[in-house]
Amino acid sequence: MVAFRSTDASGRVTGLLFRCVLYSLLALALIIVDKRYAHLVKIRQFLSVVAYPVQVAVASPFEGWHWFRDSVTTRDALRADKTKLEAELRVAQFRLQRYEALEAETVRLRALRDNTAGVTDRFVIGEVMNVDLDAFRERVLVDKGAGDGVYVGQAVLDSGGVFGQVARVGQLTSEVILVSDAAHAIPVQINRNGLRTVAVGTGDTNRLKLPYLPTSADVIAGDLLVTSGLGGGFPAGYPVGTIAEVKRDPAQSLADVDVKPAAALDRSKELLFVWLKPQAAELLPPVKDKPVPKK
Amino acid sequence: MMRDTRIRRLPMALSALVALALAVLPLPTVLDAFRPDFLVLVVFYWCIESPRAGGLSLAFFSGLALDVIHGVVLGQHALALTLMGAWATHLRLRIRVFSMLSQCLVVFALLAGYQFVLFWVDGATGNPVTAFGRWLAPVIGALLWPVIIGIMGKVHER
Repeated sequence: MVAFRSTDASGRVTGLLFRCVLYSLLALALIIVDKRYAHLVKIRQFLSVVAYPVQVAVASPFEGWHWFRDSVTTRDALRADKTKLEAELRVAQFRLQRYEALEAETVRLRALRDNTAGVTDRFVIGEVMNVDLDAFRERVLVDKGAGDGVYVGQAVLDSGGVFGQVARVGQLTSEVILVSDAAHAIPVQINRNGLRTVAVGTGDTNRLKLPYLPTSADVIAGDLLVTSGLGGGFPAGYPVGTIAEVKRDPAQSLADVDVKPAAALDRSKELLFVWLKPQAAELLPPVKDKPVPKK
Repeated sequence: MMRDTRIRRLPMALSALVALALAVLPLPTVLDAFRPDFLVLVVFYWCIESPRAGGLSLAFFSGLALDVIHGVVLGQHALALTLMGAWATHLRLRIRVFSMLSQCLVVFALLAGYQFVLFWVDGATGNPVTAFGRWLAPVIGALLWPVIIGIMGKVHER
């Protein structure tokens, strides 16, 4: 035991073993409580506020550099940008003309099928903070948290398609788990033929896989994968990725399908947090013979 | 003696804070896997050089900070850092007289043990990370030990 004791200058003996066991038990208790029960959510939200200054301090030089670079752009560059954006806007507006009619139609058709999955209600734009969370997990920290109404399991999109979902919420920030994380799976369907399956992350930012398709499944490289809306977590019909490669081994019963994600998982800075409409049916003009459920 | 302890606490807290910032500093994806556990090295330094100033408390709370900032199960890094911090404190008298090479080897063992506890908790809580890359951090950390000692020695003298 002597070896485990360190003596103070004042002659006080402090037990290293005692403190080690104490702290270890405390840590183990934390692990178990955090894993098994939901009691620590509030504490974690509070702790994430404490961690916020560090994260902001780390991110700020990069933000500052971006700001500096933005503010010294030349007039020519700005003008070129403006021309390009105007052209893009024209195209987008042209496409948008039919969008509202189509959305209304979708809502109506979904309601007919009693399918509640899928129509987005509102969204909030969050910005990815410039901090690295964990080298071996595909997660990002975003500057929107419980204070903005973000909740765990919320769908997150970027301009290309589905980005991921909220894994943990702090008061000011939230952690988004990317679709490419090895622990993430998302219900999808192939846009061409409606074949439903699940896309699973691989831990590699540029690759998802479809592990549950039989060798005989009708899937070819280039197929677009969209969210199926099953499970209710994600809105239906958003692009998840395109099939990159299909490997069929006759000896195996399942095909080996690689998917290239549609979202720019490693580059996107602005993310959309999406709220789903609770009941597509509620949007319709009230139908007399079918009571609309009230909360 | 009281004054003595108080003087040591400030550089301790500051260096831990800087190391914590280094732990989340954005790096290119390629380099990210090679990021050494700076905070762990700093905690080891304080455990070895001035264990009386509360190296183990520093270890526990630094671990907790890492848990929050990495967004993993609360207590994981705290457990690993407490155990390895205690081991470092236990070995400190021997480590101080070791040659630099032997010191690096001991630090490698400590870092590997730290990584193993993390690996174990990852597995036990149901989200294992089996990527081989995670075992690179102890090697890099051990190689960096002389540099850490040099910098921290300067901080300590102030």
